[in-house]
Amino acid sequence: MNQLINHHPASFRDPSGFIYEKDGTVYRFVSSVYQPHYELLQSSGLAPELIKQHLLLSFTEVNENHTRRTDWYKTLQPQPIPFISYAWEWSFEQLKDAALATLSICKASLKKGMILKDASHTNIQFVDGKAKLIDTLSFETYAEGESWIAYRQFCECFLNPLLLAAHKGLEAHKLLLSYPDGIPAQLTAQLLPFKTKLNPVVYLHVHLHAKLSGKKTVKETKPSKKVSLKNIEQIVQSLYDCIKGFSLPETTTTWNNYYEETILSANYLSEKKKLVSSFLEKMNYNTAIDLGANEGEFSLLCKKEALVVATDFDSTCINSFYTLLKKQKQKNILPLVADLTYPSPAMGWMNTERPAFFSRKKFDVGFALALIHHLAIAKNLSFDQLAQFFAESCNQLLIEFVPKEDPKVKEMLTWRKDIFETYTEEYFQTVFEKYFALKTKILVPGSVRVLYHFHQQQ
Amino acid sequence: MMQLLYLDPGSGSYLIQVIIAAALGALFYFKSAWNWIKSFFSKPKPETEEEEKNESTD
Repeated sequence: MNQLINHHPASFRDPSGFIYEKDGTVYRFVSSVYQPHYELLQSSGLAPELIKQHLLLSFTEVNENHTRRTDWYKTLQPQPIPFISYAWEWSFEQLKDAALATLSICKASLKKGMILKDASHTNIQFVDGKAKLIDTLSFETYAEGESWIAYRQFCECFLNPLLLAAHKGLEAHKLLLSYPDGIPAQLTAQLLPFKTKLNPVVYLHVHLHAKLSGKKTVKETKPSKKVSLKNIEQIVQSLYDCIKGFSLPETTTTWNNYYEETILSANYLSEKKKLVSSFLEKMNYNTAIDLGANEGEFSLLCKKEALVVATDFDSTCINSFYTLLKKQKQKNILPLVADLTYPSPAMGWMNTERPAFFSRKKFDVGFALALIHHLAIAKNLSFDQLAQFFAESCNQLLIEFVPKEDPKVKEMLTWRKDIFETYTEEYFQTVFEKYFALKTKILVPGSVRVLYHFHQQQ
Repeated sequence: MMQLLYLDPGSGSYLIQVIIAAALGALFYFKSAWNWIKSFFSKPKPETEEEEKNESTD
């Protein structure tokens, strides 16, 4: 491998090409073995059409072989992805949109004589508010009589987790953390309720699939009948129609409608919003992370030009927020499910393919609003641990201190022993000033909570 | 298709697709036939009622 380039650790499976980084820019090497497919992708108009429809990440051709490999055919420079996320951080609607995008791409490809050879959730990223295919080399020339090679992968990565979420209320992102390559048909069939067998499409794609996939005869028999293009189009269309109709069962968690139902005082929320907005106006920032974002009330206060990653451990909240953003066509905010006490680990081969959540980016601003008591009191984390974590995650911090006199903290301490002697505002400030410089602090009207603005001296 | 060999093609996936495709084909056929029948109910015309009866007895 060439010393001048950094081969991306997750880009090793496909001999058609790979991703690498050079001087801070991400490129894609396209091998000469992919030439006929790439030519068709461009000459058929498929790539420009999918880019126009916001289904494929845009890219430009760069006429330079950085790798000095002899099988070089093209160098592509893909549009930068502001923040990489994975299916184990997506809410239900995000996984559903990623599935529908994959199927739409496959449908469009079949019309142009091509097909998707990969249908994994790792090939989809949310860019500008849309689920887009990032792997330009996933397209293959389709030859009549061939089956859809990625069919099983699609079912395992998308259909099965979505079905389990829609019918059993299981959280798809948690399932995919255990089954990053997708959930097998046999396991899905065992977990799904009986009524799903009465749905012909689900029966075929899951229950029959599960029954057949274990059979020895199925593995060894070479079928006399061939799969036609029309057959594949019907398979793709049936999956699309089936997934399009999925919705989450109605649930109420502790956190959805939190602001509507558990407002501490009538003007607390509006006053806090005003304060956060006034702080943000004076700040210089391009990226922000809202930790414990709930349904994104405060992420929405950020300027539209900034990348905002809104995280919460409650997938119902993140799902509602994603749906709202889609409706409002707001593209700069990426809502993700993340439990701060169990953030996504580094995954894949040698733990390098999919980086751990908090190792991906350091943000200009971090929000920790109405959060600290949940971490310090419910999770027993010390101010030192928290300050160190925030200092590693962001350069400026907007953090709300929630004292013991606050009704929410009183409620939390009702049923447990108060072992938090050092949980005082004075000690909080002392500890945080070891990691940050205090810019300003202000009492949130209508509450006993104090909003702090800390920053790290560069 | 040498390039496809890096993927696990999924043992039996081909036959499964043949079976699923055949079943889906039948399903699509009945669905479109059913939609065709239904279309006569939404726009009832005296001369098409006979065709509808013929179709339903097929």
